[in-house]
Amino acid sequence: MKRLVIAIAAAVLALAGCGGEAIVPEGQGAHGHGANSAAPPPPAASSRFNDADVTFVQMMVDHLQLGISLSQLAMAKATKQETKDLAGAINTTQREELSMLKSWLKLWGKPEQGGANLHVQHGGQPLLDDKVINDTKEKSGAEFDLAFLNLMTGHQGAAVEMALTEKKDGQNPETTAYAERVANTRQGQIQQMLKAISEP
Amino acid sequence: MKLTRKAALVMAAVPAIVFITPVGSASAHGYVSSPPSRQAQCASGVVKNCGGPEWEPQSNEGDKGRTDCWGGDRLDFQVLNDDSRGWQATNVGTSLTMTWTFTARHRTRDYEYFIGGTRVGYVNGNNAAPVDPVQHTINLSGFSGRQKLRAVWNIGDTVKAFYSCMDINIGGTGGNPTPPPTTTNPTPPPVGGTWAPNTAYATGATVTYGGSSYRCLQGHTSLTGWEPPNAASLWQKI
Repeated sequence: MKRLVIAIAAAVLALAGCGGEAIVPEGQGAHGHGANSAAPPPPAASSRFNDADVTFVQMMVDHLQLGISLSQLAMAKATKQETKDLAGAINTTQREELSMLKSWLKLWGKPEQGGANLHVQHGGQPLLDDKVINDTKEKSGAEFDLAFLNLMTGHQGAAVEMALTEKKDGQNPETTAYAERVANTRQGQIQQMLKAISEP
Repeated sequence: MKLTRKAALVMAAVPAIVFITPVGSASAHGYVSSPPSRQAQCASGVVKNCGGPEWEPQSNEGDKGRTDCWGGDRLDFQVLNDDSRGWQATNVGTSLTMTWTFTARHRTRDYEYFIGGTRVGYVNGNNAAPVDPVQHTINLSGFSGRQKLRAVWNIGDTVKAFYSCMDINIGGTGGNPTPPPTTTNPTPPPVGGTWAPNTAYATGATVTYGGSSYRCLQGHTSLTGWEPPNAASLWQKI
């Protein structure tokens, strides 16, 4: 009988499409296997979420991956130890966040892909793409530092904007709490990077 | 019947909120990061309690052709027009290089630089998207002392522009300001201290937080939001 509820909920969600509020029955996750408790839940998001939560998390998945790629370059190529350390900390924390967000999307039954397209809908051409990252890879010395610091400052600035939108429009408590941490940590990183930019 | 009621609740909840979630307003944008513009000083904490620009230095947007430091679109950015906020003036020579930071790319009509009503610099954007790093060098011969330099990024595909004001001291000693004191000087790994934000922790440093002890896995300068329980990749519980 539970299957009926799930089937109806799924049908309604499919009809509602973008903009709908989804309620996954508590404890059943994306696949509806409520009895299956074998998998240890990673940092779990509760099952009540709205479209803003999903949009934010999908966009962040894309955003985190680009940030991981860019920070990876700076871990190897930045000339200042402070910058290398910051890049290393960004890299490792964003990997941690990425795996958490992917587990949330799985729980919610939402795809991981699509974030890049959402960025285009939500503000035009994104700052980072594979080409920009490849071009940055070719730089060295002070020129690399300057490019990295300005790109990462801008990239994290966009994360602050997304996080502020999620804090305003989101519903899922874990996701809005994560958005709060995104706003704070990125703002803190931007502080460090702006100081590095203005004190060459 | 219970199931039907559940299902009905689900169905009822959906149409009620279908159109509430707004499509995110166009985000985007950019500002001068070096020498530090007013919004960069807000974002870096050099000037406190700015409000909007503290979080979104890139969003000082408004119609083209404005003649002040506020873009005009967002009330919480009006602070950038307030000359009494203790903006730090950067000592510069008569040749000044500026660096832009973008959060998203727009096709660019041009960049303009003004002191008062005088346009002191112009760079054609060729209606292309900027490619980092964007730096412009302008000649400030004929000006001296403390000045307010207004940088304008005129967007090619919207009616908007982004404004960045820099407080500069032309002919001031040296090319760079005295660095403000920072809290990020490397310090020996504190042992057993309480975790605090804006502190440099080396790999292997130990701290306490919320009654537990943690070891630093990756050297970094701590931040609000990177408390040990929130950043297991930086701090291992011991």
